[in-house]
Amino acid sequence: MMTPSWILDILAALMLLVAAASAGRLVAARTWAGSSGEADIDVAHLLMGIAMAGMLVASLTTLPNDAWDVIFALTTAWFGWRVYREAGRQGSRVLADGHHMPHLVHSAAMLYMFVALSTPAMAGSGGGGMGGMGGGSGMAMQTLNAPVVAFIFVLWLSAYVVLDLDRLSGPGHAHGSYFFAGHSLAGATAGVGSASLAAVSAARTGTGTSGVTAPDEATDGGHPAAGDGVAAGSRPAPGSAFLLSPKVAAGCRIAMGVTMAFMLVIMI
Amino acid sequence: MSDIAIAGGRVARRGSASADAVDSWQRPDTRRVLQLCLAAIWLLDGVLQYQSFMFSKGFGQMLAGTAPGNPGAIASPITWDARLVEHHAVLLNSIFATIQVLLALGIAFRPTVRVALAASIAWALGVWWFGEGLGEVLTPAASPVNGAPGAVIIYALLAVLLWPSDRDAATVPFPAARAAGAQVARALWLVLWGSLVYFALLPGNRAPQALNGMIAGMASGEPGWLAALDNHAAAVLAHQGLAASIVLAVVLALIAVGVYLPRPAARAMVVLAIVVAAVIWVFGEAFGAILAGGATDPNSGLLLILLAAAYWPTRAAVTAVAPAQTAAQPAGGAEGATA
Repeated sequence: MMTPSWILDILAALMLLVAAASAGRLVAARTWAGSSGEADIDVAHLLMGIAMAGMLVASLTTLPNDAWDVIFALTTAWFGWRVYREAGRQGSRVLADGHHMPHLVHSAAMLYMFVALSTPAMAGSGGGGMGGMGGGSGMAMQTLNAPVVAFIFVLWLSAYVVLDLDRLSGPGHAHGSYFFAGHSLAGATAGVGSASLAAVSAARTGTGTSGVTAPDEATDGGHPAAGDGVAAGSRPAPGSAFLLSPKVAAGCRIAMGVTMAFMLVIMI
Repeated sequence: MSDIAIAGGRVARRGSASADAVDSWQRPDTRRVLQLCLAAIWLLDGVLQYQSFMFSKGFGQMLAGTAPGNPGAIASPITWDARLVEHHAVLLNSIFATIQVLLALGIAFRPTVRVALAASIAWALGVWWFGEGLGEVLTPAASPVNGAPGAVIIYALLAVLLWPSDRDAATVPFPAARAAGAQVARALWLVLWGSLVYFALLPGNRAPQALNGMIAGMASGEPGWLAALDNHAAAVLAHQGLAASIVLAVVLALIAVGVYLPRPAARAMVVLAIVVAAVIWVFGEAFGAILAGGATDPNSGLLLILLAAAYWPTRAAVTAVAPAQTAAQPAGGAEGATA
């Protein structure tokens, strides 16, 4: 008995949605702000979404496993380096609160899934791709070598999913990544809107809150090049604002975390 | 993502806002951390429910296997439910798994934590009966080593103890007391661990080869290293069933009364509870047989560890004795600061 294909189809569609949202975030960030400050995360989400869709449904396979091995080895190394740098500032706290740690775990889990597939399943997939977890045309279901590693990843991913949800719904969420000060933005997401209020409030009271940039400070400080190429008075379209909101980023991480945990468990 | 602000029609970006958001994220207090751990375990449980085996008739047959030994009034509904699941395995198991994932997400998402915890209690009680045969507590097969009184009832217990209530963290001796009060929480602990004492001394568990057979039986299908651990532990306990049961019962009894002891001793007993739960989880339950495939949950060991963490004595126990010190503390102090 295999996992019903419609469940795999739904999850594959969800992963394609994550990939599309990540691509949209890249485009929106570039169009609006000239560049995406952390394009690496959106690129990684894009790649993971495509890869996982291919793992779930054979017909969505895009690249051979070897290519994905290389890709996720690179993303793992990249986020490992980012975490290393972050650890220099935050110490061990980076394990729980680190900004890049979840992305390192996601990348490593992807790498593990591609590398640890058992040989019979690889043969069954014809070597071109994972062939889908539903097993395609009656092939044996794929399993992973070193299942304890899969179990550790499942625990880790589950922890990040619940932490993301807690942050998403917690009081600190108002200080989101993209926010707007001095303007109300019709159609913006609630998270963006609340962040706007927080920024305005900070500007009025003159109190600095971590993560909230007062208008003057935002305009004058930081990276002056960031705003280059954006016409004065330009505003992001509501669609872009939504895509760039922290809720979308967190939603992508949560969806990928749950799906990845699902895939690891059913391949144990 | 970058930190972008539009000010006066201009756009600027400053560093990594996500990192700033992390900085501004308020660290959850101890109870919230425990709630998140519970949510993570529910998520693991839900994901496990999506395994291929659960969509087969075998799942229904597994449920039916919990009926024998139970009184007729308990067994009959289990048998009926198992038959239903057997005939509609795909549909029903999809619903079961999705409910469990939603419970996890609901507990982790602050606005829905109460609804999700309440739903988890109802769900856990239903599963305890229809899925676990009341954890086999009414049968001679119940043993603390193989998961009695049932993992899922501990989910419900945790949901009750971690219910978000208004009791000040600074006035309770341990996080689990915030919802139900110290007396009720201690009584629940005593009943749970006391029941494990009783199960450890059941005739079936005192037999010379009882523990040996139970632990050796867990090795099947496990990875080599875990199977070797189980086999080694089983060999140590061969023909030592009576002695092992008595030692286990004494240790469990100490844990059961531990929450009534002064704070240093209570801490030692909570540590002992965590160690015993970990030993049970690794050797007796083989991590819930998750690595062998086909497990429906991580079994009781992991949940007992989480439960013990909820009883970790805080400084509040001391401040309760010294009211003057309590008054000197800032009002509404974070529990995390006192833990």
